[in-house]
Order: sequence, then structure tokens, then C-alpha cells
Amino acid sequence: MLNSSELTHAVPRRNAFKIMCDTVHALLMREVKARFGSSKLGYFWAIAEPIAQAAVLGLLFTLIGRHSLANVPVVLFLFSGILPFKLFSKLLPQLSLGIASNKALFAYRQVAPIDPVITRLVIEIATYAIVYLVIMTALAWLGFDVVPDRLLPFFMANGLLIIISFGLGLALCAAVQEWEDTPKLLAMVLTPMFYLSGVFFAATMIPAQYWYLLTWNPIFHIIELSRDAYFDSYTTPVGDWQYVMICALVLLFLGLGLYRINRVRFSA
Amino acid sequence: MITFKQLSKYYPTKQGRRYIFKDINLSLPMDKSIGVLGPNGAGKSTLIKMLGGADYPSKGKIVSPLKISWPLGLHGGLQGSMSGRENVRFVARIHGFTDTKVVEEKVSEFAAIGIYFDEPVKTYSSGMRARVAFGLTMAFDFDFDVLLVDELTAVGDTNFKKKSEKVLKDKYENTKVIMVNHSANELKKYCQAGLLIKDQNLHYFEEIDHAIQEYQSCYVTH
Repeated sequence: MLNSSELTHAVPRRNAFKIMCDTVHALLMREVKARFGSSKLGYFWAIAEPIAQAAVLGLLFTLIGRHSLANVPVVLFLFSGILPFKLFSKLLPQLSLGIASNKALFAYRQVAPIDPVITRLVIEIATYAIVYLVIMTALAWLGFDVVPDRLLPFFMANGLLIIISFGLGLALCAAVQEWEDTPKLLAMVLTPMFYLSGVFFAATMIPAQYWYLLTWNPIFHIIELSRDAYFDSYTTPVGDWQYVMICALVLLFLGLGLYRINRVRFSA
Repeated sequence: MITFKQLSKYYPTKQGRRYIFKDINLSLPMDKSIGVLGPNGAGKSTLIKMLGGADYPSKGKIVSPLKISWPLGLHGGLQGSMSGRENVRFVARIHGFTDTKVVEEKVSEFAAIGIYFDEPVKTYSSGMRARVAFGLTMAFDFDFDVLLVDELTAVGDTNFKKKSEKVLKDKYENTKVIMVNHSANELKKYCQAGLLIKDQNLHYFEEIDHAIQEYQSCYVTH
């Protein structure tokens, strides 16, 4: 029998975490180039899309004579809902196809199916942060008070949003593996979600007896809570941290569990 | 040494599980290069993929202290939408190389496909794909102990064949090959030992000739 040290060479051995970091880095370079490199407009659309959406909604509110929504300037109010929802509605389709569209790369043992999912998560979060900063800087220049009044809960709400999206995204990867029409269904579900998540209204703007129509939705809670943190002048009557955290934990567990079960089939 | 422990591999089909391998317990000494023999659909590529970590056993596992390459073949490994250079860069990065320029140049030099190196791989001919795929493993100084080759040397012109043969022979001291090829002559050229896939099991032969004989008596109709 051959001694193992006879055959292994002095190439530095990397631990599993380092290998994963190297792989995610390699995938990141690839993905960013594929997404933004082909057309220089890639970056432009990332910023123009939420602005266009806010412009349309802002115009509607201005036409009916509103200058503030829930004691917050219309523009700020809209962006504080549109941007987090944008992150959610971009992450789900991106993550859900992360595994299916990178199958050729699993020929390399370093590339685990979860790596492209993590890569896309990183890209979307980075894009989100940049878009947020650019838009808020522009608004600050126009004279708005754009700094969140309570930073910590604001980041916490965004963190929970990311965990929920990641869990759901991983679960959807398994769904895509099982049924290839999943993305179509997802697109169908995301449209009504826009209206059910409080993007352009707050809980205080609708009668209390109808809150039950929305309070099942963790994204609604997150947008409420993040507005509560963002604007001292707004206090959410429904936002429930505990509910959102439970949702985040359950969805993260579901996503990781489904990934674990399907791990072998993903790379086949 | 590569050890198979209680290894089974099956694919689910409409008629139930179709076993490719069933309860294999075997140790490959890896002091010789091995040629894998078996008819179409016996599981040669599946075996290579499992060894290379591109596919998983349904049950059991493969254990080895050796550094095993990824499956070098015409399918998989290279991504069609990326150029040859980008593929090389990607592989260098996932192996922990931070300076990919050196590797890119080495592969470019070995593959010698000129400007096509910067074109998408999907525009390549199978020979060009083979050149890049092979150059990728050769030009990197990975020091693999075991190189997995799936029908790769079957394509390519005389020049390339000579070149890859020479490189393989040069690395012989440290690097052994596990090779799938339908040509017995090709196998004999690179391998001394044989591995025959028969009855959902693996049979190891110290001499490639014995494996070929056994293969012919089992599968080849006269």
C-alpha cells in the first residue's frame, strides 16, 4: 500500500471555508461580467428601475394632492418601500435559478451547488446597497433628510429580509429542480405581493379591520418595521419583530433542509 | 490508493431504480495507470465522474488520500458561453490561484489555438475543446496524483496527440491516469492495469491485457 504522504505534494491544502471563498470569488467575477459586462446599461437599469417606479407612484399621489404619507414626505416614503421590495423580488428569481443555470460548473468538485446561490445573494445585496446609497444621496442633495433615524433596527429589518429571501430562494431551487415551470409561477405570485407588502401604503392608512389581510405577510411586517426605524414620525401599529424572526428562522430552516436533501440531485 | 466502500449508484427510471454499481468494495492500488473497460452505458463515465467529485454515489463512498483531478472530457468542465481564457481563469481561481495571468499564458501556449482562445467555447470544434481541456490540467501545476481522462485523447490531430502523449509520459513518475477509451490500443499506450465493469461490479486486473481479454470474451461477439 502506498503511503499517502509519498504522493501528496507540497501544494498548500485549503480548508473547506477557504475553498468556498475562492469558489464564490471565481463565480462572482464570472457572474458580474455576464450580468453587467455585456451591456454598460446593466448598472443604469439597476438604478433607473426603482426611480421610474417611484416616479409613477409619486405622480399619482401628487395628483390626488398628497404631500406626505403617514407624516413622511411622499418620495422618501415610496423609496423606503420600493427598495426593500425590489431586493426581495429580485432575489427570489435570481436565487431560484442559481443552481439550475450553473450545472456545468459542478463538474469541478470545488463548486458546490450552494456556491452560485451565495454568489447571487452577494451580488444582489451589493447592488441593493449601492442603489440605496445613490438614490438617498441624490435625495439628500435635493434637501431631504435621508439618514435613518434609528439605524440598528433599520439594518435588522433589512437583515431579516435577506434571511427570508435566502431561505425562500434555496427552497425554490429545490422546486425548480422538481418542476421547471416554477419561475413562471413565482412571477405570478410576486406581482400581487407588490400590492400586499405595503410598498405604497402604510398600515395607518387603511382601516384596522382590514389589517388581517396583510399581517400574514412577513414582507409587509418588514417594510412596516423598517419605516418605523427610518422615520421617527411614523410608528407602526402592526409591525411585529417576533413574527418576522420566526418566519425568517422557519424559511431558512426549510431552505437549508431542502438543499441538504436535494444536494446530490442538484449536481446530477 | 482509492477505496470504494459499499458503493452503489443507481439512476431512478420509470421502471424503478436502475443500478449501475451495486455494493462495491474495492481498493485500487494506484501504483499503475488504469484503463476502464465496459460497453456503452455500463457506467464508465459515471465512475469517472464519481471519482472526480462531479457526481455522488447513491450509497457508500469513495475514499482516497490522493489528489484527483476533475473529469477531463469533452462534456462538462468547460462552459460554452465563456471563452477559453475565462474558463481557465475560473478554474485557476477555484483552485486558489490569485495570479491567473501565468496560468492563462501557459494554457494558451499548450492549446495553441490562436485567437480562438478568446472566443466562446461553444464555437470550438471538439479538437479545440480537447486542447483547452487538456492544456488546462497540464499547464496548471496542480501536481495531481491521479488524472481522470474520459475519451479525451480520442480527438485531436496527430500533433496534439503527440504533444499530450509526451506530457503524460513526462508526468508519469508522479501522476497516474484513470482513462476511458474505446480503443484498446490507446488504453495500452497509457495504462498498465485494467478495470472492467461487469455485472454492476468492478473487476481490477493487474495487467491491462488480461482486462482486455476478459472484456472481449464477455462483451464482444465474434
